[in-house]
Amino acid sequence: MTNKYSESLERKIKETTKLGLDVVKEAAEDRLMTLSVGPQHPGSGHFRFTIKVDGDYIVYCDPDPGYVHRGEEKMCEYRNFIQNIPHLERPVIHDSTNITYSYSLAVEELLGIEVPRRGQFIRAIASELNRQVYTLYWLAIYGIFLGHSTMFMWPAGDRELFIDLLAALTGARVTHAFNIPGGVRNDMPEGFKEKCLEYINYFEKRLKEYEDIFYNNPLFRQRTENVGILPKEDAIDLGVTGSVLRASGVPHDVRKVEPYDVYNEIDFKVQYMKTCDSFARAYVPFLDMRESCNITRQLLDKMPESGEVRLKLQSNPKGLIGEAYKRVESGRGALSYYIVSDGSSKPYRVKISVGSFRNILALPHLLVGSHLGDMPSIYWALNYWPVEADR
Amino acid sequence: MTDVNNDRKETTSNLNIVEPDLNIEHSLYSELSSKFKDKVQLVYTKPNRIKVYVEPEHIIEVAFFLKSQLGLDHAESVCGTDYPNENVIEVIYHLNSYSHEELASIIFALSTKTDRNSSYLPSLLPVFKSVEYHERETYEMLGVYFQGHPRNERFLLPEDWADIPPLKKDFRIKGR
Amino acid sequence: MATAPKDFRFGSFVGSVVWLIFWIIVIVSLVGLPLIFIILFYIPLPYSNGEVITPYLFLSMIVDPTRTIPIIKFLIHTDIFRAAIFPGFMYAALIAATTIFVERKFLAKMQLRTGPLYAGKIEGILQLMADGLKLISKEIIAPSGADKPIFWSTPIIFVATAAALTALIPVAPGWVVSDLDVGLLAIFAILGFFPLLALLFSWSSNSKYPFIGGLRALHQLIAFEIPFILSALSIVLLSGSLNLTDIVESQYAFWFFAIAPISAFVFYISSLAELERVPFDLPEAESEIVAGWLTETSGMIYGLIQLGTYLKLYVLAALFVTLFLGGWMGPQIFPQELIPAFTGEKIYNATVVNGIFWFTIKTFAMIMLILLPRGINPRIRIDILLHTGWYKLIVLSFINMFIVLAMIYGGIITPGGLQ
Repeated sequence: MTNKYSESLERKIKETTKLGLDVVKEAAEDRLMTLSVGPQHPGSGHFRFTIKVDGDYIVYCDPDPGYVHRGEEKMCEYRNFIQNIPHLERPVIHDSTNITYSYSLAVEELLGIEVPRRGQFIRAIASELNRQVYTLYWLAIYGIFLGHSTMFMWPAGDRELFIDLLAALTGARVTHAFNIPGGVRNDMPEGFKEKCLEYINYFEKRLKEYEDIFYNNPLFRQRTENVGILPKEDAIDLGVTGSVLRASGVPHDVRKVEPYDVYNEIDFKVQYMKTCDSFARAYVPFLDMRESCNITRQLLDKMPESGEVRLKLQSNPKGLIGEAYKRVESGRGALSYYIVSDGSSKPYRVKISVGSFRNILALPHLLVGSHLGDMPSIYWALNYWPVEADR
Repeated sequence: MTDVNNDRKETTSNLNIVEPDLNIEHSLYSELSSKFKDKVQLVYTKPNRIKVYVEPEHIIEVAFFLKSQLGLDHAESVCGTDYPNENVIEVIYHLNSYSHEELASIIFALSTKTDRNSSYLPSLLPVFKSVEYHERETYEMLGVYFQGHPRNERFLLPEDWADIPPLKKDFRIKGR
Repeated sequence: MATAPKDFRFGSFVGSVVWLIFWIIVIVSLVGLPLIFIILFYIPLPYSNGEVITPYLFLSMIVDPTRTIPIIKFLIHTDIFRAAIFPGFMYAALIAATTIFVERKFLAKMQLRTGPLYAGKIEGILQLMADGLKLISKEIIAPSGADKPIFWSTPIIFVATAAALTALIPVAPGWVVSDLDVGLLAIFAILGFFPLLALLFSWSSNSKYPFIGGLRALHQLIAFEIPFILSALSIVLLSGSLNLTDIVESQYAFWFFAIAPISAFVFYISSLAELERVPFDLPEAESEIVAGWLTETSGMIYGLIQLGTYLKLYVLAALFVTLFLGGWMGPQIFPQELIPAFTGEKIYNATVVNGIFWFTIKTFAMIMLILLPRGINPRIRIDILLHTGWYKLIVLSFINMFIVLAMIYGGIITPGGLQ
């Protein structure tokens, strides 16, 4: 709804703020109220951003991460390759298989080894299940942010199925420490394949119910459609990744673009939408979940019946001198590791580039000029996980 | 909800290692070196990876050429590494392309080096908008000042950080 | 009180009970009995039927129904009973308390979980009592710089206003605390207090998030009062009076819901907005403004405001039933005489009991309908809310008013029911 007030406000915003970084002029400042959507806010997570509000419109936004910064990259230099796995999966406890998957791929390149085939399949299956777990949790929190408590309870309940599967496979509900350089820790238990297929069949029926109740709800659509529009050029320019990018019309998925492990044998389609608004950013992960069920079925089919799952390494392997850069598609987007090795058993430098850190650049871009009531739906649709961005 | 079937790579169902042809990587480098002659230096090419070294004075024009001519439109990450024995800090920009499909799998590592004790580099923010927060993090973690970046400030570290930039090799974690 | 409790030993428990009984016996026999005899010595006992009412006689009179029933009948028809117990505050508070519990269980079942389960033997039925005790024992923190008189008095006024509304609802024929000729208008007048109270409380909290929440509450409550009143206006046209008892009486043939369904719909949506329930719970939107104008409430203040909110829920549901669903009208299912052989003064009046029964059933059904959107919908945004309230609902209520006017003009129905 444009009216004279919002047009004059847009002019005022354009002339006083550039990317939200400049200080607002004095004349406008009297009417502004500074709010700190801080770590002690039910709608923010472990993250803080400062916003200035003029009535109902946001005119300035400044993200301030760093509340859970642990120094992951520095800690990696003090431990050898396999000792890095437990602390590297703590940034995203739900999606922990993916954040160590990329690390394992890079270390395997530096050690010059190759993982046995069955191990590659199990790794991919664990990665897909973890993606479902993370996306369901994200969907649940999205419901809370919009005030929809059923949208919190149902995905959180269905998520338990996948967590049970992962607990049967790896021994832990979250933070599995399952992927190690050289393969996976242990083989699948008996009966896992049947149980997994049964859960996936049930889950696909539930996905249909989610679509009916959550995504086709007129109030949900009103809250998220045409809200926070990120055009395709801006999305490419700002370098966002993952579902945010795919919701703006760019069909980029690391599993299709640069297939790692056994993904070049799996037939699946990249899910993307062209509408670029918050609804698309909420709908693309749902499509991804459906596609992930499909991928898991194919992986379970094509997996070799028996074989080694882990390549036995010597107990403190030294890396070849060089560097490696590997990336993996996690729940938030492309997760890449850049590891430099100087020939010793500890990495010289590990740099983690996570999807959350790249996506948060779009937050000031989208929030400035929008309603205060749109803040939760824009912020959480950017698929931002605060702990991962801080590392 | 349309979708796209990307059949760029031919898939084989057995896991024989396909010999990488490295054509795209070499063609990228040849285009780059034909424009900039000896200002750029090839460090290595691997399957889907290429690393090129540039001096800090020329980095902005090289980056601009990469963006406008070759189509690498965003940076995935900016990584600074401290090499105390060579007395340099190396900053690498990993570039990738969303708009050009044939370049979507290539990571182009644009690296530059600066002195360890007084590290100044021109900021690539005018060329790539996506490096903004990454450069800010490199500033606070390694002490590299990016000229032209509007906010060389603390980002992830706590407000009362009073020590040297933590990713330098001089900084030791207490007790290790 | 931050001490760890000692382990429970049954022997010490029995010992403490015996000790208590010992002390009661000592005090009663050494102090209480002499006191009673001194009083009885000096005060002349009342006479009744030529006998002195000694305590023994009094106790034996209590169990004689022919003497006690007139007393009970007299008590029931006093004003204090009506205002405080039935159909006034206690009845409404009981329904409010039941509503809170039922809401939690109902929502839980919709969301595939169980809700309160552990307090009380059967399915957590004493959860309300546990919550009440918890709230009483909490510290009430007033923010520094808060406007103390307004901060402390607004919750009490809130409950008082909500309770004042319950005085106007007719529950059974002849059972209403205050039977005003302009009863419907009085309800709207009292409802108009609530935006003011929300604004006062949020202003006196001296904090940013309550301030935004209070402004949102003000916008929302005011915007939806107009469709509220307009939709009730069609009912006034149909029944010809503003007196709530007369409105119910004029629905003897059919419920007004049959003629004015659009008005009923508008009334329902407006009452959801007046109650600040999902999908209209912006004033306390948790993820955006941290509980809105209720942010600074803690302890018993929070308990009072919750009580007021649920009393208001009862009132609006009962109002919907009175206006559209026929109040207490329903088929007579209670027999005229409970105990056929018993003659004498009765306090059981079959029509009244029937009226209470049907009224309670219908109010409960309406309350469940108001609770239902919480499990289905997310929250709405403020500009969509104002757009709906000011444009769409007013238009809809006018449409139904014109339909009703047309039917009256055409002679199908007259004010006061069917011809």
